[in-house]
Amino acid sequence: MAGLSFENYQRNQFLSSKGYAVPKATSTGTTIVGCKFNGGVVIAADTRATAGPIVADKNCEKLHRIAPHIWCAGAGTAADTEMVTQLISSNIELHSLYTNREPRVCTALTLLKQHLFKYSGHIGAYLIVAGTDPTGSHLFSIHAHGSTDIGYYQTLGSGSLAAMSVFESRWKLDLTKEEAMKLCSDAIQAGIWNDLGSGSNVDLCVMEAGKDAVLHRNYLTPNVRSQKANNYIFNRGATVVLKEKTIYSKLELVSEEVIISTPEERPEAMEVDA
Amino acid sequence: MSQDPSSINGGSAVAMIGKDCLAIACDLRLGSQSLGVSNDFEKIFNYGPNVFLALCGLGTDVITLNEVFRYKTNLYKYKEERTIEPETFANLVSSSLYERRFGPYFVSPIVGGINSKTGKPFICSFDLIGCIDFTKDFAVAGTATDQLYGMCESLYEPNLEPEDLFETISQALLNAVDRDALSGWGAVVYLITKDKVVKRLLKTRQD
Amino acid sequence: MSSDYSNIKDSAPIEHRFNPYSDNGGTILGIAGEDFAVLAGDTRHTTGYSINSRYEPKVFDVGDNIIMSANGFSADGNSLITNFKTNLQWYHFNNNEEKLKISSAARLIQHLLYGKRFFPYYVHTIIAGLDENGKGAVYSFDPVGSYEREQCRAGGAAASLIMPFLDNQVNFKNQANQPLRYLSLNEVLSLVKDAFSSATERHIHVGDYLEILIVTKEGVRTELYPLKRD
Repeated sequence: MAGLSFENYQRNQFLSSKGYAVPKATSTGTTIVGCKFNGGVVIAADTRATAGPIVADKNCEKLHRIAPHIWCAGAGTAADTEMVTQLISSNIELHSLYTNREPRVCTALTLLKQHLFKYSGHIGAYLIVAGTDPTGSHLFSIHAHGSTDIGYYQTLGSGSLAAMSVFESRWKLDLTKEEAMKLCSDAIQAGIWNDLGSGSNVDLCVMEAGKDAVLHRNYLTPNVRSQKANNYIFNRGATVVLKEKTIYSKLELVSEEVIISTPEERPEAMEVDA
Repeated sequence: MSQDPSSINGGSAVAMIGKDCLAIACDLRLGSQSLGVSNDFEKIFNYGPNVFLALCGLGTDVITLNEVFRYKTNLYKYKEERTIEPETFANLVSSSLYERRFGPYFVSPIVGGINSKTGKPFICSFDLIGCIDFTKDFAVAGTATDQLYGMCESLYEPNLEPEDLFETISQALLNAVDRDALSGWGAVVYLITKDKVVKRLLKTRQD
Repeated sequence: MSSDYSNIKDSAPIEHRFNPYSDNGGTILGIAGEDFAVLAGDTRHTTGYSINSRYEPKVFDVGDNIIMSANGFSADGNSLITNFKTNLQWYHFNNNEEKLKISSAARLIQHLLYGKRFFPYYVHTIIAGLDENGKGAVYSFDPVGSYEREQCRAGGAAASLIMPFLDNQVNFKNQANQPLRYLSLNEVLSLVKDAFSSATERHIHVGDYLEILIVTKEGVRTELYPLKRD
């Protein structure tokens, strides 16, 4: 990647040599799957992003478009899957303009694996690449070090074992589109319910030969939060304001300072055990 | 004490979306581990009237990144002859952080603003290497992240009027930072509507 | 300035050691009212990214109108509660079936915990009940027995998410012109439910079921509610 800068690298290396731990990036402790069927391929993902044990995003997008007919599901470091996918998407588009041909899945695969191999695993992207092109429909998986696999079905991420158990017990040759969609969404659900790193909704993308790829964003939403017991709207004035300032106004009332008189205050002790 | 660059200086921020409005708030503490150093360290910056950025994390990187983004948004203004929109700015933040993938700035930013074309409020947060977390309710950052998630998840209601949103975000921030040793020492809230931005300084505990 | 390779350590022998502790997730929460107390906990039991059980209760009626939970490493939690029950039985034998006061129960737990000062029970303990005057009481303990009587306390994985919410809604912290008052049982129950459903949304180790134990002068009663299972 041309644009990467290593300017802060030495500073951070120094910091870590002094015993400062490097903060963790949001990783998509994820379930992603892909499955081929008669005449196409489908990929699916859950929508939970985590930072340690905390859910950072309840409805994130893990299905990325590389080209109109080539999509990719990403697990691992969230920023890496997003950025590596965008980069290869650009390069694929330039390549298909240059060659005046439809982009091929194996081209995306090669671009991705060579890029990841170059960075020897430091770019933490684990991908399932799928799509249709003039040579047929394809399904691959790529690991962060650059190795790739081919198969009729693939699973990746922390929920990959839960998802794989669905494929290993129910997959068969010559699935229909509907069967493949059901199998993939069931595999993702196996991850959602049984793997703590995965959760929320199912995203699904169907790529059929000779048709536009269809993204089913939030194909299933089995985890909508139910109504809370209370609503917590506060009385206006519950928060004590010391100073108010209008810093921008279309009515040309810029920078007027209003000092609000403090309302009756409850005397505040340092720490009271109520 | 914690040996982590992003929690040496402490500090927290939160943003929430209301009905045609949004609020973004932060505490004012800058410390060195458990020692409080400054009670006047604002972590919210603005680049034009409708784009606000909260930067939590390592103090030196907060200051540096503010200058980087001031520089970049000024150049954008000269080239485009208009101010940057929040969505565009979010992508600028993302790519600026990812550029430093292998030597990151130790920050967790939140972008908030109202799109001047559509009038839609927009917020999102990032991790330290630029992964965007788009959200339609609230975004949190800083050393009181856990506490803020707990507060926001229980207090937040969609479609609040500006003044109700102000109370909700203030209570969320105040009670969260009171349970975090590295945040507090004052707080500010920016209430952003389509044609007015108000900044309020809150009364907080000083311990 | 150190060189590029400053962080590369010379090869040193790697020490492998048995780790006697693990973290089984989950969260607990106790609130004292005027004439009642509640102790609630989720029932999810985890290690790492796996769910071991969706229903593994960890809040117990330990007798004498006292409810108790020890959250953290569940083997230690179960062991502490068993030990407490044994001690309580001995107390009854030795004192002609006299009822153990909650303040005395708290002091006993301190000694059980401090007795393992250098190989601690890896738990955050909370007990709830009624004091000698019939007022609700909640006592919370750190792993080595430091304890305090409080109005409310959250413990375990999502304690940091729930505790500020309790400060705000039970003790009315940061709310101007809001006088302190006791909450009714129904108010407390809805706060507990919202605290847990919120923690379930944002913490991966919390979920499945919410079990609430309620102590009044009539005795202990249990309520069970579903939480999200993802």
